[in-house]
Formats: sequence, C-alpha cells, structure tokens
Amino acid sequence: MNFFSQISILLRKELVLELRMGYAISGILLYVLSTIFIVYSAFFQGVTNPMLWITLFWIIMLFASVNAIVKSFVQENGNRQLYYYTLLNPTAVIVSKMVYNITLLFLLSLLTWGALAFMVGNQINEFSGFLLALFLGSVGFSILFTFVAAISSKADNNSTLLAILSFPLVIPILMTLIKLSVSATGVLEDTSAIQDIGILIAIDLMLAGLALVLYPFLWKD
Amino acid sequence: MIRQSWWKILSVLLLVYTFVAGLLVPLKPGIAEVSPRAFKAGSEVEMTVTGYNSMYSKAKNNLNAWLKLSGENAEDERVLKASSIQVVNDRTLKLAFKLPEYLPSDSKDDVCSLILDSPVDGAIVLPEGIALTQDSVNFKEGMDLWSVDKITHLNVNSGLTFPYRSVLYETIRNQYFHVPLWFAMLFLFLFSVGFSVRYLRTFDADADHRTLALNRAGFAFGILGLVTGAIWAKYTWGAYWSWDVKQNMTAVALLIYAAYFILRGAFQDEEKKARLSAVYNIFAFAALIPLIFVIPRLTDSLHPGNGGNPAFGKEDLDNTMRMVFYPAGIGWTLLGFWIAAIAYRIEKLQSKLLDA
Repeated sequence: MNFFSQISILLRKELVLELRMGYAISGILLYVLSTIFIVYSAFFQGVTNPMLWITLFWIIMLFASVNAIVKSFVQENGNRQLYYYTLLNPTAVIVSKMVYNITLLFLLSLLTWGALAFMVGNQINEFSGFLLALFLGSVGFSILFTFVAAISSKADNNSTLLAILSFPLVIPILMTLIKLSVSATGVLEDTSAIQDIGILIAIDLMLAGLALVLYPFLWKD
Repeated sequence: MIRQSWWKILSVLLLVYTFVAGLLVPLKPGIAEVSPRAFKAGSEVEMTVTGYNSMYSKAKNNLNAWLKLSGENAEDERVLKASSIQVVNDRTLKLAFKLPEYLPSDSKDDVCSLILDSPVDGAIVLPEGIALTQDSVNFKEGMDLWSVDKITHLNVNSGLTFPYRSVLYETIRNQYFHVPLWFAMLFLFLFSVGFSVRYLRTFDADADHRTLALNRAGFAFGILGLVTGAIWAKYTWGAYWSWDVKQNMTAVALLIYAAYFILRGAFQDEEKKARLSAVYNIFAFAALIPLIFVIPRLTDSLHPGNGGNPAFGKEDLDNTMRMVFYPAGIGWTLLGFWIAAIAYRIEKLQSKLLDA
C-alpha cells in the first residue's frame, strides 16, 4: 500500500468515525455557538469595533480549535494506535490527521464567521482576503495543535498540557492572522498584507516540515 | 587542570574586565540642559548651560561657543559666536549672544544647534536644541549677519569615554549586560537543540542530560536578560513593562521553555521523558525563530533598532564601546556554558543515584 492510498484510507476512517460518533463534531459546533452567545451577552453595547470583532473571532477560533483537536489522538486507545503503526507509515498517520483537522477547522471557522455575523453583525468587507486568512489560520492551527496533541497525548493530564505547550507557540501565527484579518475589514488600508501572507506560509511550512520529520520519534512507545 | 578549564578562567577574566571597564569608564562630557531654550531675534540673550561630566573651570578662558543654523548644504554654515562666556562652576556656564535682527531663514522660526568647544572636554554639540523666532523674514540680510563668525578650531576629546546620548545617558552601559545575556541565551538554546537531535539519533541518556542542563542555563539567562531589559526600560521608557512587542515576544519565548520543563515533569518514565522533551525542544526552537526575529520587525517597537529608534551598531556603538562589548559577549557566553556544565554534572549524578 503506497503512502497516498494509506492517507486516503486513514482520512476515510477519520470521517467514518466522526460521523458514526456524531457527538464529537456537534459538540464542537455547540461549543462555538454557546461561546458566541456568551460573547454577545457580555458585550452589552454590541461589538461595533472591527478590531474587537476580529480579536474575538480569533480567540473563539483558538479555543474551539484546541477543543476540536485535543481528541484526535485521545479518542483512539493505545492498542488501536499500535495496530495502525504495525500496518502503516507513521508519517501517513500524522499527515492524515493534519489534513482532516485542516478541513475540520476550516469548516469550523466558516461556521464561526457565519454565526458571529448572524448574532453580532458582520464586519468583514473583503471576503476573499478573509477567506484566505481563515484557510492559512486553519492550516497553521491544525499543524501546530495536531503535533502538540501527539506529544501531550502521551501524558495523562493532556488537555492542560496541550494548552500549556501550544499557546506560546501559536502566538506568532495568531498575531499575523489578526493583522491580516484587520486589513480584510476594509477599515485600514494595509500595504503589508502580502508580507503577512508570506510569513504565515513560511511558518506553516516550517512547522509542517518539522512535524513530519519528528513524528516518527513520537509514536513508538 | 589548567588546560581543561582555560575557558572558565577566560570567562572570569573577561567578565571582570566587563564589569570594571563597563562600569568605570566615564561618559563623554555632554550638555545636559540649556535654559531657556527659545529666543527672539534682535535681542541680547543669555542662557545657562548645564554640563554633564564637564570640566568648565579647568578650561577657563579657552572656551568657545557657537549657535549654528543648518544650511541647505554643509558648506554654508551660519554661525554666531557667543559674545561672552562666564564659568560659574565645573557644571554650569552662562553664555551671552547678540542675536541679529534677521535669521538666514525663509520662515519666522527656526531651530539651531549649540556647539561648545573646550580644550579639556572636546567639542560638544547639542543638536537642534534651541528655537529661534523673528518678527519679519529677510533672508539675504540674515545670511550676511550670520556669516561674520566662523567656527575656527574644534578640540577633540582624546580620553577613554563612552558616548553621551540623550535619553540613554548612563544606561548605555546596559549594553554590556542585557545584549550579551541574550546572545548567550540563544547560543545555549542552539546547543541544546543540537543535543536533542543527537538524542533522537542515538537515544543516549547523556545527550538528554546535556539538553536539560543547557536549557536550564539558557532559561536563567533569559530571565536575567528580561530583568536587565526591564530595569533599563524603567529609566528610558518610563516603565518596567510597557507591553512593547519585543518584551512580549521574549516573555512568550520564556513561556515556551517553561512549558518544556513542565512537559518533563509530566512523565515518570525516563526514556519517554527524554524522547518527548527532545521532540518538543526542537519544535519549540523552530517556533522561537519567528517569535524573536520576524514578529518584532512587523510591528512598531520602542526597542533600539526598531521603529526609527537608534540601533546599537550605528553611532551608539563606537570603538570604545566595542572594546568592552565584544569581550562581554564572549565572557557571558562562556559563563553560560560553565553554568550548563555544572547543571549537567548535577543531573548526571542524580541519575546515577537513581540507578544505584
């Protein structure tokens, strides 16, 4: 079985598991909706400032992503993991998880955007720019969180550990994303958007490359 | 013994030199204060100059002072010599100028520099520090009135001094402590990544002990770098912590390494601990690069070298400073490796005790 067919089988497995269990993805959706509801209730005057809107959006996304990804290594027990590793290339395992999480986070971010626009009001005027930011953000978040989740799943208290290990690492991505998204509100004319996109792609590529090189050292117990 | 630990002796010597030279060499004499700082053309004016590290009494009658207006190009200097200079004490000077009716300027107000020349202190310039105003504009007349005097001869201070910079003043010495501590920290973290890579290739517990020791020493240096920076910021920026992007990013960098130590605490099994922390160490160092080198360049910062603030390495780092700065960098880095070597031996002994 070659590398790519392994990945496609693993992706299909992730999807089947997700749909069969059902509650995992609907749980995350409910998590996002209730967070937005809390945000809306907490800001009595409404969120009219675009900068505040963007910041809230990405903070909601950050916590939703951590909660969505923390399960990616936990939901399957150690014995089943061992079974995969005897059959498959470890790199295929991490790549499939990352690809799956990128799709999940991208859909999640679209949903967050929609829900925030419905409940709080839309502040985005340049759709294509913001969609690009969402995509790059989903890629960065899922590469980073998937890899750190793989590390923290080896320890017992892993959801706290995931936050401790990954939040400092995610700050450069988050700051660049907020900067890029602000330019998509159309409030500020930002001339350095291309540079920001370049930085995000560079960070994503670097983290992805390292994750692929280092993952084979992680799985064997 | 001597042959093995020559670098430890070198680090001590270099650091003693850093502390002695870095703290004892005086700042170049400068002008701390001029009052008043705004004058009207066509009157006889008097100003009080407060010097810093200056020796006015020693120079006595050999002092010279000029007001200088910057012209279109460097050659047409418009200067006005002080009509009288009265030395009050070493640090205080009273200057009198007979300001002509017109300025060689197209507008009603202009700024000029004050140049003070002394055979003891050398020539001192207070750039663009004095405001002049005039009631009516007469460029040609002003040109004639201001080109009578010429700057004849300027003395050079040949003593061993550090540059005198407004805002920085004595805190310029922090460059021998804050900056080298950061360099040393980066070196320590870089070597620890090297040992993490070696651990993943060989699974030799010794490499893990070295990684841990280097990270401990690097973390300590990082905290010292942050503290020296914060103390410096209190005197120059006005607050220990002003949420500047460089301060935030370095705090985050320290959080990453704090997370490394917490990760190690989360595992009981020594082999698992070593393997997972080595993986995280490599990953974290890579994530540190955008944090320290990329993000601060994107945003405005108060830090020297960012957002139009004077950078170390331009005129703030003169040759006298280099004579202390480079040895300081080597000295602090060697000290960091020395601390790491001791931490490594402690770690090794502890693991031996656990095995026994």
